[in-house]
Amino acid sequence: MITTTSLYDQFINLYREREITQDNDWLKDLRETAFEAFSGKGFPSTRLEDWRFTNVSPFLKEDFHLQPGAASLHGLHNPAHIPLLDAYEVVLKNGMLNEDVAIRGVKISPLRTALKNENLQSYFGRYINTEKYPFAALNTALFENGIVIEADKNIICDKPIHITHVYNAEEAVFIQPRILIIAHKSSKIQIVESVVVIGNKPLFINNVTECCVAENAQVDHYNLQIAPSNTHLVNFNQVVQQNNSLFNNYTYSLPDAAFVRNNLHLDLNGTNTESHLYGLYLAGGNQLTDNHTVVNHMFPNCLSNELYKGVLLDNARAVFSGRIYVHQDAQKTNAFQQNNNILLSNKAVVDSKPQLEIFADDVKCSHGSTVGSLNKEALFYLQSRGIGETAARNLLVKAFSFDVTNKIQIPAVREYIEKLITRKMAEAYDQ
Amino acid sequence: MPAEPVAAGKVFRYSFGSLGQYIIIMANNSADILEEYSDKEYEFGFVTDIEMDIAPRGLNEDTIHFISTKKKEPQWLLDWRLKAYQSFLKQPEPHWQNFELPKIDFQDISYYAAPKSRAKYKDMNEVDPELIATFEKLGIPLSEQKILAGVAVDAVFDSVSVATTFKETLKEQGIIFSSISEAVKEHPELIQKYLGSVVPHSDNIYAALNAAVFSDGSFVYIPKGVRCPMELSTYFRINSENTGQFERTLIIADEGSYVSYLEGCTAPKRDENQMHAAVVELVALENAEIKYSTVQNWYPGDKEGKGGIYNFVTKRGVCRGAHAKISWTQVETGSAITWKYPSVILQGDYSSGEFYSVAVTKNKQIADTGTKMYHIGKGTKSRIISKGISAGEGQNSYRGLVQVGSKAENARNFTQCDSLLIGDRCGAHTFPYIESKNKSATIEHEATTSKIGEDQIFYLNQRGIDTEKAVALIVNGYAKEVLNQLPMEFAVEAQKLLSITLEGSVG
Repeated sequence: MITTTSLYDQFINLYREREITQDNDWLKDLRETAFEAFSGKGFPSTRLEDWRFTNVSPFLKEDFHLQPGAASLHGLHNPAHIPLLDAYEVVLKNGMLNEDVAIRGVKISPLRTALKNENLQSYFGRYINTEKYPFAALNTALFENGIVIEADKNIICDKPIHITHVYNAEEAVFIQPRILIIAHKSSKIQIVESVVVIGNKPLFINNVTECCVAENAQVDHYNLQIAPSNTHLVNFNQVVQQNNSLFNNYTYSLPDAAFVRNNLHLDLNGTNTESHLYGLYLAGGNQLTDNHTVVNHMFPNCLSNELYKGVLLDNARAVFSGRIYVHQDAQKTNAFQQNNNILLSNKAVVDSKPQLEIFADDVKCSHGSTVGSLNKEALFYLQSRGIGETAARNLLVKAFSFDVTNKIQIPAVREYIEKLITRKMAEAYDQ
Repeated sequence: MPAEPVAAGKVFRYSFGSLGQYIIIMANNSADILEEYSDKEYEFGFVTDIEMDIAPRGLNEDTIHFISTKKKEPQWLLDWRLKAYQSFLKQPEPHWQNFELPKIDFQDISYYAAPKSRAKYKDMNEVDPELIATFEKLGIPLSEQKILAGVAVDAVFDSVSVATTFKETLKEQGIIFSSISEAVKEHPELIQKYLGSVVPHSDNIYAALNAAVFSDGSFVYIPKGVRCPMELSTYFRINSENTGQFERTLIIADEGSYVSYLEGCTAPKRDENQMHAAVVELVALENAEIKYSTVQNWYPGDKEGKGGIYNFVTKRGVCRGAHAKISWTQVETGSAITWKYPSVILQGDYSSGEFYSVAVTKNKQIADTGTKMYHIGKGTKSRIISKGISAGEGQNSYRGLVQVGSKAENARNFTQCDSLLIGDRCGAHTFPYIESKNKSATIEHEATTSKIGEDQIFYLNQRGIDTEKAVALIVNGYAKEVLNQLPMEFAVEAQKLLSITLEGSVG
């Protein structure tokens, strides 16, 4: 636990000196609890089991600006543009949305105005244990901007909603955006998030996303983490699923963000739910990609399926920690988890920690984890057919990631991701 | 049903006392025995009344001086113990384990207990008859007739080695098999060189405690190129109330040698918890192979989880030379808490490590066990097979580490850990850690958790096998991969033990 850095002091002061008039009482309490949790523990150190392989302190040494205004978009060529993607486009500037966006049955509003609505109290911050997760606590205590996406009952959104986060890093900034997604009964939405960074000063994003999937609802959530190397991203994603709901998460961490830490927590709060978590990380340079997932089976007859695959080049490091927790009441649970890693460099490091904690007996649970290199026979086979070594490698990496990329249900997104993988692999071997 | 030792040469009858005589029959008639044992409580909870030479309760430097003086140890060993004690004082109790660690009052334990009359005997007749009676009850083959069993036993009765058999036969080959205290006197150079070289005195709090107060244990040295002609075996038994046992085992296999070592335990029934913090160190030099098998059946406590042994053991082996091999096999059915991770440091190139484990927990038993494989040399291989069985309110955790260093070219690991759940109040947990720093390494881990299939039970029921026996059969099949690794006699016994342990947990 790190409480000695100047950044820590800055946050403590920021909290004490901020204006609190805008908040509802419940929100004040929520912030206060979260602040106490953060001020008591500080930033996590590697002595915490959850951060055992990830030392975050080097990324916190910058002299960050803590309350940036809205980013300007002038002259921006949008690298997050996904060709041929037919979607409702929403642009957030430093986490800020200027006005409500209304799509048939789906309301997207700035967090500040939305939080005036007392109904949000039963969703916002309810399922995050700020005691345990310091970054989520910090965000809860001090978040400024963000959005609320709310899909009405029985609404099936016809197109995906593409949220582009634009961050202005012309000076070193620490940004804490917050997103709340509510899919009411029997609704269906698809959300695609991508990141654009302007400027090349260090950028630290401490994001919290909450997603509430009501009965019979379906949410597909795509997280495309493609950002330049000055980006440091801590992303806490809390999902709550009610009876018969379906949640799909796709997390793709591609170059070049220096540090990405994803916490994806699923609380299966009803029976007959289904959840699919797909992750792909392709890291090169000095990137550190850290994925932590927790699937909490609390009720009977739920299915969860998790597949995370990673390819590591250069000095890249990857951490995977997956935890499946099956409570005693969660009989007839099917829970699967798999993590496969390919190391393509002798300096790359993988730490994999799949975990099962099971308290019910009538379950089918399994996990698997592998770390290895490209199959030599497969490589030889391709070469013997006249395919050059580089092309053969790229083909094998493409095949390896296919298990995850072919799960993408939006063709334009799939193509976009596949292209990025191919491009990175081509670069890697051209050097 | 007294049975004659019939099987080919080896009859294994020392480990489970009166049970020994049934073992041979078991193969054809396991059903009767199951019935017979289904009503029984823990079988081996008798206490022998022998005058003990017990150190006063409490732990301080004086205790260590007392032990050292009692054992007439050289100064360097005393210094080492004191160093370990200092490190014990500095270390906090761990908190990362997956269970609540009961508060252990280290001052409430007596750290030394020895049978009083312990002159060296030449003849069995000279041995205290009551002691012999105890061994008879345990079925330890000390007498001539039992040499047929082909097992050399270094019997540790509470802490001091009382009688050692087969020494002569082993001596001819140059094999040293004795108690540690004897080895300290007779082979100080070996002890000084290897003691604490695998598990340092400061390794963890329990290992430090052991190093400070260890009472006795076994020492094995296999010289260059010798294949040990028999299974070596030590038999431990906690006897005196509130005497934690702190034994230390050191096995050295010199270049090109082979040894298979067995360890098995039962303990008398007690109300107060007893702590058992042993240390086992294995050193395999070039081309040597050590096979270490354990059947652990310490008293698990009653149905409420009262009493029972805390089994906190540090076991580690190191493959020093190229092509060395260390294999751990364990069957853990007893103890209130079993907490150990037999590990292998694969230092030599092309060395290999294996870990086979069956852990059964029922009632309120807890097992947090697994292994660590450190791949340092190139071409090193490791294989981990862990089978956990949880019944009643038992909690079973597999915790393992596979670490591949950057120089471990072409290292290979395969891990499989399966959990079987019987009843809806037990738990099975898996916490593997996989760390790879080498691109040519291949690491595989897989784990499954499930209950016994209803279709399997139905099939067996349909063939006229009742549910309880069906479960025993399925569990044995499930654990077969591990049991097969045990020396034959041990395997038979372990199989039996599994069935009995699971008695009454079905339905």
